Amino acid sequence: MHKIFRNPDVVWREEEEAREEVINAMGRGEDAGSEGTVLLIVSGTMHQLNILGGEIWKLIDGSRTEEAVVGELLLMFDVDRETLAGDVHAFLDDLKSRGWISYEQ
Amino acid sequence: MNSKPKIPFSPITINWTLTFRCNFLCRHCYSRPEKAEELETGQVKEIMRKVAEYKVPFINFGGGEPLLRKDLFELTSYATGLGYNVSMNTNGFLMDADAARKAKESGFKTVGISIDSTDPETHDTFRNVKGSHKRATDAAKYLRDEGVRLTISSVICRINHHEFDALVQQAKDLGAEQISLHNFKCTGLGMTNKDELDLDPKEWLDFYMKAIELRSKETGIRISLDDPITASIHKSPEKAIVKGSTCGKLSLNIRANGDVTPCGFIPVVIGNLLKDDLKDLWDNSDVLGKMRNKEPKEKCKTCKHYEECLGGCTARAYAMTGDFNSPDPHCWVKKG
Repeated sequence: MHKIFRNPDVVWREEEEAREEVINAMGRGEDAGSEGTVLLIVSGTMHQLNILGGEIWKLIDGSRTEEAVVGELLLMFDVDRETLAGDVHAFLDDLKSRGWISYEQ
Repeated sequence: MNSKPKIPFSPITINWTLTFRCNFLCRHCYSRPEKAEELETGQVKEIMRKVAEYKVPFINFGGGEPLLRKDLFELTSYATGLGYNVSMNTNGFLMDADAARKAKESGFKTVGISIDSTDPETHDTFRNVKGSHKRATDAAKYLRDEGVRLTISSVICRINHHEFDALVQQAKDLGAEQISLHNFKCTGLGMTNKDELDLDPKEWLDFYMKAIELRSKETGIRISLDDPITASIHKSPEKAIVKGSTCGKLSLNIRANGDVTPCGFIPVVIGNLLKDDLKDLWDNSDVLGKMRNKEPKEKCKTCKHYEECLGGCTARAYAMTGDFNSPDPHCWVKKG
């Protein structure tokens, strides 16, 4: 497994207030999965990531493999490993196809 | 894993008019009638530090002509050190090889050069400075030689709306990564010369239809058309973070003396960053609140596009009527 790196040309920011709201809402059992918690700005266009996408984005700092990312997320989200691993893989595939991440060679 | 639109916790971009001084007298300029005391170097840095606490990722220097500030590169190095991504818009007249090298060394991520025509004489007349087209294209080459990312900015108006495709080609030939086809705004000299320069709504529709089509086919350069009224004819494949004007929702403007306005084209001061806190202004300004919660008026009340465009450009509506909620005067949509 290869470590994953964010493309340094992608400018990003965590929306701290939004993340806190989402986590509080999830704690109350509400569905807040579509709220944005991380903003990405790529070539002048902005994109938002929801809580799962945002947490993945923060974790892929070049120190972790996909498996390690899944392991970290299992500590945060109440979901089975297989489902989470599938979601993480699909998300990373999408990021890679956009050129926003790369894998250690 | 996309999500619903929401106002970010602080601005994404600060557009910073470092000076109102300019070596040009462009016929459309929003700021030529403006005068203000300029912040000293230390005061600019102080504001940069305060704004950096709120993790604003982008600063775009404008003016006036930012290269007239002798401390421009010092300020850029300082801002880069604080983590900002810094860009500027310049007329290019003072961007010689030495300035381009300093632009690279100080950390500019991109530099925008204003070029409004492929015909040097038309550009020079519009900008009121002989030789300015040559200097602008030379500036682009110097920047490209230094490896600085280049954007060309063109203000679409009466002199060039029929040749925007040639403007795009010119920008490609100059090595630009993006061309921004800015919509004309009737602020400052833009208001004085409105009748001569502005297009009518039908002409704006024609321009945007053709420009959107070209953008969909063009692969050699990004074409930016930052105008909320296009929502009635085009749906972006990417979900917009906010709808309508982005001013006051994603960006703020700082004037030469530290005053804050929602955007450069709305001369309504909401505070001054020498004494006010950015986050307090962002969260609690009544003016920003009104811009973020517009109410449809007149033809917008029954328009099926309102939820997407939110009345179009707030600056144009305000300039013509003094009311943020008025319909954008460029809008071509008939009353429904």
